[in-house]
Amino acid sequence: MKSEAVDKTIVVDGVNISYRTSGPVNDRLPLVLVHGTAGNIDSHFGFLFPMMAFRQRVIGINLADPGTETIAIEQFVAQVSAVINAEVPDGAVTLLGYSMGAPIAAKTAHTLGTKVANLILVAGYMKTDTHQKLRGHIWLSLYKEGNPLLKNFMSFNAFSPFHMRSRSLEDMLAGTAKMNVTPFLAKQAELNTRIDVLAECEELQARTLVVGLSDDFSCPKHHSKAMFGTIIHASYTEIATGHAVVHERPAELFYHVNRFCNDPECYPVGKVVPAPKP
Amino acid sequence: MIIDKKIVIIGAGFTGLGTAIKLLKAGQDDFVILERRPDVGGVWLDNNYPGIACDVPSHFYSFSFRLKPDWSKIQSPGGEIQEYLRECAEEEGVMPFIRFNTDMVESRWDATAKYWVIKTSHDTYRCKFLLTGAGHLADEFMPDIAGLDTFPGDVFHSARWDHSIDLNGKRIGVVGSGASAIQIVPEMQKIASELVVFQRSAPYMNIRNDHAYTDAEKRTFERNPEVLEHLRAWIFWFGEEQYAQRRMVPKYIEDAKNVAMAHMENQVADPELRKKLTPTYQIGCKRRLSSSSYYPAVASPNVTVEATALARIEGSKVYGTSGNSYEVDALVFATGFEAVRMPFTKRVFNAEGVSLDEHWDTGMQALDAIAVAGYPNLFVIYGPNTGLGSNSAVYVIEAQVDYVISALEYLEQNQLSVFDAKPAAEEQFMDHIHDVAEGTVWLDGGCRSWYVDERSGRLTVIWPDFPHIFREELSKFRPSVYELSA
Ligand SMILES: Cc1cc2nc3c(=O)[nH]c(=O)nc-3n(C[C@H](O)[C@H](O)[C@H](O)COP(=O)(O)OP(=O)(O)OC[C@H]3O[C@@H](n4cnc5c(N)ncnc54)[C@H](O)[C@@H]3O)c2cc1C
Repeated sequence: MKSEAVDKTIVVDGVNISYRTSGPVNDRLPLVLVHGTAGNIDSHFGFLFPMMAFRQRVIGINLADPGTETIAIEQFVAQVSAVINAEVPDGAVTLLGYSMGAPIAAKTAHTLGTKVANLILVAGYMKTDTHQKLRGHIWLSLYKEGNPLLKNFMSFNAFSPFHMRSRSLEDMLAGTAKMNVTPFLAKQAELNTRIDVLAECEELQARTLVVGLSDDFSCPKHHSKAMFGTIIHASYTEIATGHAVVHERPAELFYHVNRFCNDPECYPVGKVVPAPKP
Repeated sequence: MIIDKKIVIIGAGFTGLGTAIKLLKAGQDDFVILERRPDVGGVWLDNNYPGIACDVPSHFYSFSFRLKPDWSKIQSPGGEIQEYLRECAEEEGVMPFIRFNTDMVESRWDATAKYWVIKTSHDTYRCKFLLTGAGHLADEFMPDIAGLDTFPGDVFHSARWDHSIDLNGKRIGVVGSGASAIQIVPEMQKIASELVVFQRSAPYMNIRNDHAYTDAEKRTFERNPEVLEHLRAWIFWFGEEQYAQRRMVPKYIEDAKNVAMAHMENQVADPELRKKLTPTYQIGCKRRLSSSSYYPAVASPNVTVEATALARIEGSKVYGTSGNSYEVDALVFATGFEAVRMPFTKRVFNAEGVSLDEHWDTGMQALDAIAVAGYPNLFVIYGPNTGLGSNSAVYVIEAQVDYVISALEYLEQNQLSVFDAKPAAEEQFMDHIHDVAEGTVWLDGGCRSWYVDERSGRLTVIWPDFPHIFREELSKFRPSVYELSA
């Protein structure tokens, strides 16, 4: 079982979008991965992408700065749609969005209709609420004043207290020091303060798995529960981590993604599927 | 005397006891456990060398249906694990079903009568179903060393520690540098006048994150069962994440290697010794070990690492393949177990009189890692392709026990009494296993290990996928892959 990854690019609205494909073509639908704020294929799907690619075709997208002063979610939707249409001209896909990638994926699914047969929304949200607006306000204020505490603020919101308990303060600070705060990231943070894909979610027909995270301080799980309630063919499960599930417990995320991709019926519509008890 | 039972179980370790507990819970009590030793525990009874402990955290290296809030340490000592197993056996009512000091000498399938006939060191048993929980690390492996019979000092294997021998102040040789050796060496370093470690290949090692639990912590687990469940899940999924490294995902290989090398460099200053202790194969190809006391021990003035295998012995002089020689008073063989050709397989015969060992002449294999075509009504637990590189064996054992219970239920509900693996299904399953194993560090990591059968070059001991996939796919009987009859 081996899988070679191929890096490619596509031009969307005059901007180069890089993406990566890997994995065998088989009876599973290709899985398309959309990362979240401050992420890319490697940082958010460093585990999920290669491990899923041993089992099926996977396409990961690096969202790119469209070059405009602010970003409209439609611009990211255009980037994701372009990659899907280029790589999977015929047939349907499973689309996964994590964090900010979740509303992008939901809106893409709405735009592409039956092309997105299955949808996985991890730590997502449909509409920015006051808690998130306040977070965004602090984020952007720290950014504007060039405050180095911004990086600490980001990791404070990213990881669960339980995860931090197994690290020292020095470890946590060293980890945050590696983060890269760019103008593109600031634009993502600004976009996060005005997300609204509620109407699209109400109309979605895709078979959807919503994954909430029990200790998520960025997109608390009530957002995921609301998505589970809103999307007609949705099921729900929860992982006991902070927002950074892709770092805290990537293997448990893999477990759900792999099962759902193999057979969505493992997650009955309208049902909460409990976490596996090892 | 001939005794009839529905089920005979060989072995009273995690497998035998776990099966018995689940059988009793399912309302089945027509069974017996045959155990050659005088007590329960399996490897945890046999292995009582100084320093023994598990290397998967105890809160996960235990039955999911019998959590123990008061484990003394993150990775508890072997004796405590053996006591835990005894407590399980006693409190779950299993003890009366065990026949101790009873060696299974021969098991034969009678195709006409459709039962197994089991000869033991005492009675003969006849049963419908035979379940082996004889362990793949139950029988010690002693290398054939020229001149061993000329050695005048004390010699024993790590799994047969001779506690009557006083090793204080002696010149001790430890043969091996695997999981047992790295626990034994720090203890021997404390008492030996001189210690030489024969290391055929250097292991990769991580810090051992271990500490004793306080009473308050133990009470926290006891009073908040969900805290314990959360911890178990955390340990489990952390273990699952390690699989990416076995799968040779470059970033995970690099990270793991860096962590292990940094640990060694933190603890060993001497560049010569560092060189000897640096592995020459890919990380994970052999079992990754954890110890915070091994490197300091081998860096001590009274210890020499002989970075070659033990080659021969002349009296009290022991030689490495390098030609270096050492005078020693005692030799401890921490040389592992007969995992690739488990000795009990020489004692299990099909109706044609072919032993499992002969049948598996190019390597062991089993449909769904549990059943062997031509050997009806036999469940081999913790046998071929069940070893894990990154998680608790008990997790796999429990999945297999669930498979057994569901098989028995299915047969009973459908008034069937004999199952036999379809040969084509077994081959298909094995092709799948070997396909998954391709490209893993166990096959491509450039080491020689007991995970691979040298006769076929195939990975026969290890489960090559995520452990959770084992439970997903192999904890329920699949009637379609068996020939079933009344
Ligand atoms: C030193 C050591 C440390 C380990 N540490 C870990 C760890 O930290 N984590 C982990 O996951 N795994 C560990 N293991 C692996 C261990 O083998 C399994 O975890 C588990 O204990 C296997 O249980 P079992 O019941 O299948 O086999 P065993 O414990 O090996 O029990 C087999 C039993 O069968 C009996 N038997 C065998 N043949 C016969 C016969 N012919 N007649 C009658 N009785 C027979 C034996 O006497 C024995 O009691 C360790 C193994 C060893 C040796």
